[in-house]
Amino acid sequence: MEELLANPYVGPLVLTVAIILVFPLIVGYMVLAERKVLADLQVRLGPMRVGPYGVLQPLADALKLLLKEDIIPARADKWIFWLAPVLSVFTGLTALAVLPLSDRLYVADVNIGILFILAMSSIGALGLILGGWSANSKYSLMGSLRAAAQMVSYEVPLGFATVTAIMCAGTLSMQGVIDSQFERGVWGAFDNYGLMLIPTVLFIIAGTAETNRAPFDLPEAESELVAGFHTEYSGFRWSLFFLAEYAAIVVISALCVTLFFGGWLRPFPNVELLEIPFNTVFPAGLCLLIAFGCLKGVGKQVVPGFRFLMAAIAAAFLGAAGLFVLPLTNELVIGLFWFAFKLGVMVYLFIWYRGTFPRFRYDQLMDVGWKWLIPISMAGLVLNGAVQLLARG
Amino acid sequence: MANLIKTFLLTDLLKGLWTTFKNQAPSKVVTEQYPLVRPPVAERYRGAPRLNNHPETQETLCISCNLCALACPEQLIVVTSERNKVTKRKDLTTFTYDVSRCMFCGLCEDACPVDALELTQDFEMATYTREGQIWDRQMLEEGPLPSQYTH
Amino acid sequence: MAATTLAPPPAAEDTFLDSNELVLNMGPQHPSTHGVLRVILKLDGERVLGADCVIGYLHRGVEKIAENRTYQQFAPYVDRMDYVAAVSNGLGYCMAVEKLLDVEIPPRAQAVRVILTEVNRIASHLLWLGTHALDIGAITPVFLCFREREEALKIFENYCGARLTTHAFRIGGLQYETYDRFEEDCLAFCDLMEEKVKEYHALLTGNRIWVKRTKGVGILNAEDCKNYGVTGPLLRAAGVEWDLRKAQPYSGYDKYDFDVPTAESGDTFDRYIVRMQEMGQSCRIIRQAVGAIPEGPIKGKVGKVIKPPPGEAYVSIEAPKGELGYYVVSDGSLNPYRVRVRPPSFVNLGALDKMCRGTLVADVVAIIGTIDIVLGEVDR
Repeated sequence: MEELLANPYVGPLVLTVAIILVFPLIVGYMVLAERKVLADLQVRLGPMRVGPYGVLQPLADALKLLLKEDIIPARADKWIFWLAPVLSVFTGLTALAVLPLSDRLYVADVNIGILFILAMSSIGALGLILGGWSANSKYSLMGSLRAAAQMVSYEVPLGFATVTAIMCAGTLSMQGVIDSQFERGVWGAFDNYGLMLIPTVLFIIAGTAETNRAPFDLPEAESELVAGFHTEYSGFRWSLFFLAEYAAIVVISALCVTLFFGGWLRPFPNVELLEIPFNTVFPAGLCLLIAFGCLKGVGKQVVPGFRFLMAAIAAAFLGAAGLFVLPLTNELVIGLFWFAFKLGVMVYLFIWYRGTFPRFRYDQLMDVGWKWLIPISMAGLVLNGAVQLLARG
Repeated sequence: MANLIKTFLLTDLLKGLWTTFKNQAPSKVVTEQYPLVRPPVAERYRGAPRLNNHPETQETLCISCNLCALACPEQLIVVTSERNKVTKRKDLTTFTYDVSRCMFCGLCEDACPVDALELTQDFEMATYTREGQIWDRQMLEEGPLPSQYTH
Repeated sequence: MAATTLAPPPAAEDTFLDSNELVLNMGPQHPSTHGVLRVILKLDGERVLGADCVIGYLHRGVEKIAENRTYQQFAPYVDRMDYVAAVSNGLGYCMAVEKLLDVEIPPRAQAVRVILTEVNRIASHLLWLGTHALDIGAITPVFLCFREREEALKIFENYCGARLTTHAFRIGGLQYETYDRFEEDCLAFCDLMEEKVKEYHALLTGNRIWVKRTKGVGILNAEDCKNYGVTGPLLRAAGVEWDLRKAQPYSGYDKYDFDVPTAESGDTFDRYIVRMQEMGQSCRIIRQAVGAIPEGPIKGKVGKVIKPPPGEAYVSIEAPKGELGYYVVSDGSLNPYRVRVRPPSFVNLGALDKMCRGTLVADVVAIIGTIDIVLGEVDR
């Protein structure tokens, strides 16, 4: 047994399997969160029927998607049609491998982790293009053409913003970037006397475009192209595209959190005084708050099963609060908590845009990309390089 | 210059973001949880038709004058009656109302001289069959019986 | 019938990379053709070379139905043409028959008619704003607009018992007396609107994406507007101050003090601004009218049986979407001999091709939204 644990391949393998199994569920709940937050922004309630406050909605959705008829259009290129969603999901999930979930929880700490992520997200674009091409529908074709143009042009500012952050950190390893932020005692976003804010904002904008999210959701563009590249997809194939989209969101958000917001580090990681408030009081308090909210909701539920479910969720969060209070377990989960928390904030930001902004037009998207984002990102790179050279010698 | 700074600081976009952010307050939710919470319906609401009975004698108020059938744009009301030998009045025998074709314009209600036919506040009229949409006199007098929602 | 009206295809050297044209069939099942409009687009890449509307998917033969109904019986059907502005439709039809009958409408009925029509104008514009924003990709305004529209519909529901297809007016005046809190509800609705319009401005007017998507898109200048017979906010956005409520006042509109908002360039953004200002002007009219509803009867001298003398009458009113005309011919019988409707959205839709040429696919959606069509009215 001990021999098995000592094997360097076992830990990563277990984590890989765990990610592949758990990730669809996480995506399901991200979709629920998106629907709920969007509903909040739009003075609605969102899903409320399946389970108390709709908490079982993802399961119902998954079941529906699995049971739906899987249609391949008669004149579609069957093999490519089959390949496209697989390619998208494959690259999306592979990119998760190098994410540092906490100080000890990661599949691989590759010394070119960031390049690996960028490469995977570039190949992921191919999935969209193939999917739109193979369906042999004009709407799909236009969606995939837009996807191709958009992905290529927004990878440039994304790359420049990343390069700026790498330059600041001095390494391409994801864990290394976090370590360097710990050493310098400041998050990447506020480094270089605040000048790093320029690439941070650019990274968020370009990342939104890279993941095809509103206001840059032109490849899908529901009101123009019906559903863009996945117009002809249905059932489980369609849900694979969905999975890939959310995987891309997680990857880009995680990259942003790692490069600019300290990854799994708590805020102000070098200030000893804040150790207790940030590492124990805040997470435990958050869990207690959620548990309390669930307990309050128990009384409002009519169905006994729903009451039980609400009570179970409350108990789970109480247990989580306990994890954060005990020093032994705290050490194990606190990194993951901060990583997940920052990721959650990023994902909320993504949903928030979507609920607020109109969509760009194709040519305007290119304008913004080439005439604004790329020059600004280049200027940011030069500026940060110069400041770094002067300040650090 | 001020405009240029505004452009770079994205103030217009932040204003929009703030507007949607404010709308998240739970008190701003306007959704009605329909089957659990029923919407209040106006007093004059034109919903399911009803044939009124006299509150005390429980006899129908309808005098079989056929004015509602004549007023109806869709001609979906059929009234039959027979002459009562004793009172020399028309007695209502059948009253058929095809709700599936009704557009609830209220012309029949306006035409009725004795307030026998009335469009009520009931709005749940769904049935599983088309035939179920054709209401006879009994149904019109009793009103629709929507199944109560139990969670 | 479809592709015949399009211009001949451009020579190969005019198209990008000698590519062939792409004919894209948009609708009748499409998220943003506002119902069942079908547009056949000729595209060069994303650029639109021509747009051809195919209509009739919602044709119900309303004008023919009129010939088999009595004058009163036809009134509920007109609500079902422009179902978003049912009250305006009802007003136009009732006024046309009243002109045939030559009856005088009591001032109280006229005042209530004005109030309800203006509330309906705001409701119609709100629906337009929400769906138009949705077409351009902003998914939140539609819910906010429906929230406010709900208040307008509640006024209708309380007044006449129906929310959408109201059948609020009768030939000769009104059927229903105002309800107890009518005045308060109308004023509260105006207050609400004036407050909430700020929210729309914050979400859209200043937003750079919205401005980019609408400024200079779908330009239709005053000359083209006149040539195509385009009326309503589209005409006013092109700088022509033409509003039937001012030009030939009906139903006592001359008693109220209001402005006709106009703009200059006639693009999508100007139409948006004009409609937003019109909502404010409608509030102004409602406030004035509610304060001065005269006492008196609500129905003129009209018998139970309406039998106009032989003749014809044309009445046009300023509906939310433009000039709405009713042409009624009577042969002296109980049924109209012929009813012809001049639907504003149908006429305005004719300018779609003109507005679309040279724009991008995304703009076509924005332009369809800005024309503010209701297919029930286009197809009748």
